[in-house]
Amino acid sequence: MQPTATIRRLKAAGAPPRLSAFAQWADRHFKWLLVGPAVLLILALSIYPLLFSLVVSFINYDFQVPGHAFVGLKNFERVVFDPVARWSLLLTASLSGISVAIEFVLGLLVALTMVRSFPGRGVIMSILIVPLFISPVIVGQAWTLLLQRPFGPTNYILTQLLGQEVTIGWMTERPWLYVSLIIADVWQWTPFMFVILLAGLTAIPPNLYEAAELDGVNAWQVFWAITLPHLGPMMLLALTFRLLDAIRMFDTIFIMTGGGPGTQTYTASYYLYTIGFTQFHLSQATAGSWLFLIFTALIVTLLVRRLLKVEPV
Amino acid sequence: MAAVAPARRRKRRSLPIGRILLLGFFLVFVLWPLYWMFNTSIKPSDDYLTVPPVWFPAAPTLVHYKAALFAYRGLDGLINSLIISLSATVLSALLGTLMAYSLARYDTGGKHLSFWVLSQRFLPPIGIVLPVFLIYRQVGLYDTHVGLIIAYTVFTLPVSVWMMFAYFRGMPKSMEEAALVDGCTRWEAFWRVAMPLAAPGIVAAAVFAFIACWTEFFFALILTSRTAFTLPTVFRAFIGFQGAQYGEAAALAIVSLVPSIALGVLAQRHLVRGLTLGAVRG
Repeated sequence: MQPTATIRRLKAAGAPPRLSAFAQWADRHFKWLLVGPAVLLILALSIYPLLFSLVVSFINYDFQVPGHAFVGLKNFERVVFDPVARWSLLLTASLSGISVAIEFVLGLLVALTMVRSFPGRGVIMSILIVPLFISPVIVGQAWTLLLQRPFGPTNYILTQLLGQEVTIGWMTERPWLYVSLIIADVWQWTPFMFVILLAGLTAIPPNLYEAAELDGVNAWQVFWAITLPHLGPMMLLALTFRLLDAIRMFDTIFIMTGGGPGTQTYTASYYLYTIGFTQFHLSQATAGSWLFLIFTALIVTLLVRRLLKVEPV
Repeated sequence: MAAVAPARRRKRRSLPIGRILLLGFFLVFVLWPLYWMFNTSIKPSDDYLTVPPVWFPAAPTLVHYKAALFAYRGLDGLINSLIISLSATVLSALLGTLMAYSLARYDTGGKHLSFWVLSQRFLPPIGIVLPVFLIYRQVGLYDTHVGLIIAYTVFTLPVSVWMMFAYFRGMPKSMEEAALVDGCTRWEAFWRVAMPLAAPGIVAAAVFAFIACWTEFFFALILTSRTAFTLPTVFRAFIGFQGAQYGEAAALAIVSLVPSIALGVLAQRHLVRGLTLGAVRG
């Protein structure tokens, strides 16, 4: 029995597989069939809406007004000449820039202290990355609980530490509301920087450091001569991903300040959300989102192209 | 040598102290809001207004959990979140795996297709969500589970594809080539040989997709209202109120933390690969 079975299998292996016409067609176009569903879905829910929104931004799309009159560039004009829109763009740039810079420095420092193994490293690692798994809404809620006046404990702790009464309105007074938003963002995303930079640091060959130590080079020189150049691509990667996420900042603002007081914490996303979904100027909001998209696309092409060049996948 | 040795010894001794301080500070920074949220969720409402604040409630209570889950419909949100996140995760992992395999093994569409998929990750959601909102209202997907499942599938696809792409690229081709020589169709080689080998990678990608869906707020805020709302959107109920509902908000937050932190810590080993989208060889 045994030998016959083997012979049979070998025979079958040598013969070309017998397939129906459909199966043959499917096998020939196999690679396109695999990407098909995903591509169709992305086209349907990402590209089609984008094109649709381009149409909407040139007409007057209003639930109350019947018919959609073509208005040309008027919607774009409204956004460009809206001082609140300009303010929100400025705020988006500065808030995301400052947050990402702090996250980068802090993440790098923590990564440098964690790169060599020590007892308890695994546990500490698990705790430090927890913020990455928490909804930004909850992060906003948590910091609201800590900072809220008069019940939150932050002002009380500061009063005790400084020895004088501290009554900061963390979510109502300038500049503290920006500080609060930055703290919440830093809390959530420093672990992201830390994880990527740690991965980059562990990838540097240890014999470079051993050679440097033999040469008697000091720690600062080692950092400049070995760590920094080797970590460069990874730094660029971390900064790119974080920056592209940071400029959409919305959730924590929604929970912590609601854009206020007034329009003081309107980021670009928050501004467009308000125009579109609380005032229902849908066309103006789509026009604005196209302008925002163009800004983002510029940053994406600049950063991601460079990234792909540096880091061939 | 004699001059270097003492300097090195001094460096070794001073380094751990700076290390411990920095790590200690950062640990407290990470844990403090979580502790305070937990503390708020179990303390009786009377304890909110006291000065100094109550650091450890003398009489912990679960009333806020009860109110958050039932009076504020947190439980409905929880169930919706589970249905939507799990469905989107399965879809995203499935479609992502198919696409990634094609990209990794057959170089489908060259660099352009893979770059195009990745670039979807960088579209600002506000640019997409407004037209999707209008389209959904027209086709009857607004405020439905299916609508949000589709949106989340598309929104997690780029990362799934890229994680799986890295995984398939790192896997030797030889097993599938052997299967093809033995007379398997390409589909059989993929389904019977490559898929089982890639299972750990698929699970890791799925965990990331799940966490992304579970914590998402913006799409859910705009595309749902009374029936398909998810857990994060329940927090709208607590905005702008003073004092009284802190406990409920905190309790709800604690409830929704549990699955994502549990999954996140489990998938920790795959974290780096996921976050760097395959650019790092782990």
